[in-house]
Amino acid sequence: MADKEKYLTKLFGLKNLHKIEVYLQNGGYEAAKKAIKTKKPQDILNEVKAANLRGRGGAGFPAGVKWGFVPQGVEKPKYLCVNADEGEPGTFKDKYIMSHNPHLLLEGIIITSYCVGIHQAFIYIRGEYEMIARRLEKAIEEATAKGFLGKNIFGSNFDLEVIVHRGAGAYICGEETALLESLEGKRGHPRLKPPFPASIGLFGCPTVINNVETIANIPFIMARGAEWFTQIGLPKDGGTRIFGVSGAVKKPGIYELPLGTSLRELIYNYAGGLPEGKKLKAVIPGGMSAPVLKADEIDIPLDFESLMKAGSMLGSGAVIVIDHETSMLDVLRVVSKFYAHESCGQCTPCRVGVAWINKIVQRIAAGGGQPGDLETITRLASAIKGKTLCPLGDAAAMPILAIVEKFKDELLDQIGSLKDN
Amino acid sequence: MVKITIDGRQVEVKEGMTILQAAESIGIEIPHLCFHPAFPPEGSCRLCLVEIEGRPKLELACSTIVQEGMTISTQSETVRQARRSVLEFLLAEHPLDCPICDKAGNCQLQDYYQEYGLFDSQFKENKERKSKKVALGKNLILDRERCILCTRCVRFLKEITRTGELGVFQRGLRSEIDYFPGQPVDNNYSGNLAELCPVGAITDKDFRFQTRSWFLQSGPSICPHCSRACSIYIDYHVGFPRVELDKYVYRIRARENPEINDYWICDFGRYNYAYLEKKRATKVLVRENGQAQEGDWDSQIERLVKKIKEFYLKKKTNRIGLVLHSALTNEELYLAKKIFQEDLPEVNIFLIDPPEGEGDNWLLTPSRTPNLKGLELIGLQPQKFPPEKPLTELEILIIFAYLPHGEDQYNQLRSLLEKSHFSVLFTAHQTALMNQVDVVFPTTLLAEKEGSVVNVEEKLQKFPAALTPPGTARSEREILLTLGRGLGINFSFYRQLKTPAAVFDQLSQDISYFRGSK
Repeated sequence: MADKEKYLTKLFGLKNLHKIEVYLQNGGYEAAKKAIKTKKPQDILNEVKAANLRGRGGAGFPAGVKWGFVPQGVEKPKYLCVNADEGEPGTFKDKYIMSHNPHLLLEGIIITSYCVGIHQAFIYIRGEYEMIARRLEKAIEEATAKGFLGKNIFGSNFDLEVIVHRGAGAYICGEETALLESLEGKRGHPRLKPPFPASIGLFGCPTVINNVETIANIPFIMARGAEWFTQIGLPKDGGTRIFGVSGAVKKPGIYELPLGTSLRELIYNYAGGLPEGKKLKAVIPGGMSAPVLKADEIDIPLDFESLMKAGSMLGSGAVIVIDHETSMLDVLRVVSKFYAHESCGQCTPCRVGVAWINKIVQRIAAGGGQPGDLETITRLASAIKGKTLCPLGDAAAMPILAIVEKFKDELLDQIGSLKDN
Repeated sequence: MVKITIDGRQVEVKEGMTILQAAESIGIEIPHLCFHPAFPPEGSCRLCLVEIEGRPKLELACSTIVQEGMTISTQSETVRQARRSVLEFLLAEHPLDCPICDKAGNCQLQDYYQEYGLFDSQFKENKERKSKKVALGKNLILDRERCILCTRCVRFLKEITRTGELGVFQRGLRSEIDYFPGQPVDNNYSGNLAELCPVGAITDKDFRFQTRSWFLQSGPSICPHCSRACSIYIDYHVGFPRVELDKYVYRIRARENPEINDYWICDFGRYNYAYLEKKRATKVLVRENGQAQEGDWDSQIERLVKKIKEFYLKKKTNRIGLVLHSALTNEELYLAKKIFQEDLPEVNIFLIDPPEGEGDNWLLTPSRTPNLKGLELIGLQPQKFPPEKPLTELEILIIFAYLPHGEDQYNQLRSLLEKSHFSVLFTAHQTALMNQVDVVFPTTLLAEKEGSVVNVEEKLQKFPAALTPPGTARSEREILLTLGRGLGINFSFYRQLKTPAAVFDQLSQDISYFRGSK
């Protein structure tokens, strides 16, 4: 991709971009100012809807539609929660945005809040990102001093407060309703839906929850318009995605590319391909909960629809590359251990089912594999998939099903050889 | 109304109902564990999943609201398979110690598993070991291996008592119920948790290992320990042939009554049941020359009738004293009023009830008897005791005593007893008063009676006799009827009142409050 198509990360090379002066010198807060001074909330909503900006957190739900669900004219306060929990293994894009350009996120928060009529926004950031949380707080201080946050921002009569809240380290708190519970000071357990957060969310009030990258897109849609946005990437799936490539590549890191770029191109053209002497075995295309793709499945455009058709998902855009020397049993072991460890324990299939699968996998890895184990794993994962209270059940079951299905022969070989030893 | 189809049956149900409620309303049971009608749906056990035509996934019956035209299947193979899976998951880590579990025979997990079970276990792994004997409070023991984490207990304490002692701690498979540090479950409603637990995870210390649930019979009754008069079940053991048991009544449970106590009763009412068996009066005792001897009902009642008649004919009924209490049924109080307030004029009627205790601003009232309101409504006008003008002497003193809350309230009767020429005591329990009266008659307790009471909120409840009375004990209703008939003042009135229902009919004709209540 030509660098001119980058917009989110375009300025990330600048020194001290996280300081407000540098951000302002580069056109920072112009979009927010334009929005508040010249636009009506409804115009902004129409623009974001027209852009069809799909959520960057994993589910890909259109942001404009989500905002539109928030009831207007109610007496209760409304809240914005920015999901910066970034717990999906392999994902590190939000960290990159927030550490390089915290003001971009704040500008997005201002426009979003103005559009939906929100006066208090929370950034729920994963506990491990302590440095970034400090950086965000510093940025909030700077923006408040300039009159971009706080009372009567940009000289309008619009007030907005932004609060940074650090999580305590549970994967489940990245699930939007568990995040709300956690933010309310309770145990991070997902809520039953409906009601959806747009109508009953934080402290029982209408709430918008968006991923960091989603919000970071807003200032650009504001400044350049929906038409510009839809011309990048695919018509129905516009804009760029920040892909975080890790694993067996020469240049792991962050790559901002238009949606629709092929997975092969990302791995071989941008991430430099696999290290010398290593062959591609598999790719997890959208964070650990995305079902694995085999080496011959990588000629696929990276967008929500194409990956869904291929039985996987774009998810959080975290691409994990697995080479031929990596054992798929190890991959399965890591996946099942992670989800068994992170299951919140609220609903039965996820609490017991995932832990059961993990017990089988760990037994196999210890050399105690038995005939029928893989079939049992498949059976159990199928009994979890689609039947849990929150998406974590699917997030655990889907990658496990894919690994067992696509790499059955390799797993059987390993079960056999482990037993022989 | 909303038209829906459940399992091929087209029905109209109320708008806003959940699928679970709609199915229940037409007799279709959908298995569920975490759902309890007292709380909002939790959706965590995942057992109530059903199929809705046109929806990609199975949906929860407990939380999904019915919509016009919905076609629901509760028995399709997909649904049954999902249920089997959930039950398989629940049993995978379950200790299966049913043989020593108090809940066995009365356990929802057991029942559902019987119906949907995959009886050959596929679980080859080691089960989690967890603590099996955690004291949650003074009445409760938690077995964490049996716990299915439905969180009914947590939600009860959060939403009903609002005391919030319990929470879920840890995460995933290590999740466990515990109380917050320094905050065990010692509120006055703790016993409800053992009932609320759908499995044997929370057991009641009082009931633990006492018997098996299938030996017990449940008699519906009402709780006599305060003026709330909560609906209860009394669980009793009928015994085995040739084996003497030391207990008859094993526990008290809440009986659902949305008008009065919902699904709950307080610990004061729940654990206070020893009086049903302890120190019961079982024989008629007659005192002659300072010696108590067993007497017989009919002749002693006859003796009492004769004495009363004598003073009635002499027009000296003002020399008769009657002591009542408000743990009697409406039927009994009504008969007492007819005889001692209407047939016999000027009888000195006193009310002696147990002293008031502490209320808890919810179910438990300060008054410790169930029918104070009924007594008022019936129009009995007892004097305070002791009376303002001390009585010089009485010819006859008839005492109906009520002793489950001690007998201190009767101490002041002693001087009056000394001054009475003839005294009788009707009592369900043995008491020191027995040594001071001429005749003791054993009576029954509310649990052994059919009748009705009116609670503190003027709500009327009828109930059948739950237990068999001990020895030769007779109910006060029977006794009063015998007196009424024996006196012959209004013979035909009492002759027709053969059953408690007949007394109630008569009562409802006389007093408007009782009219129209079934």
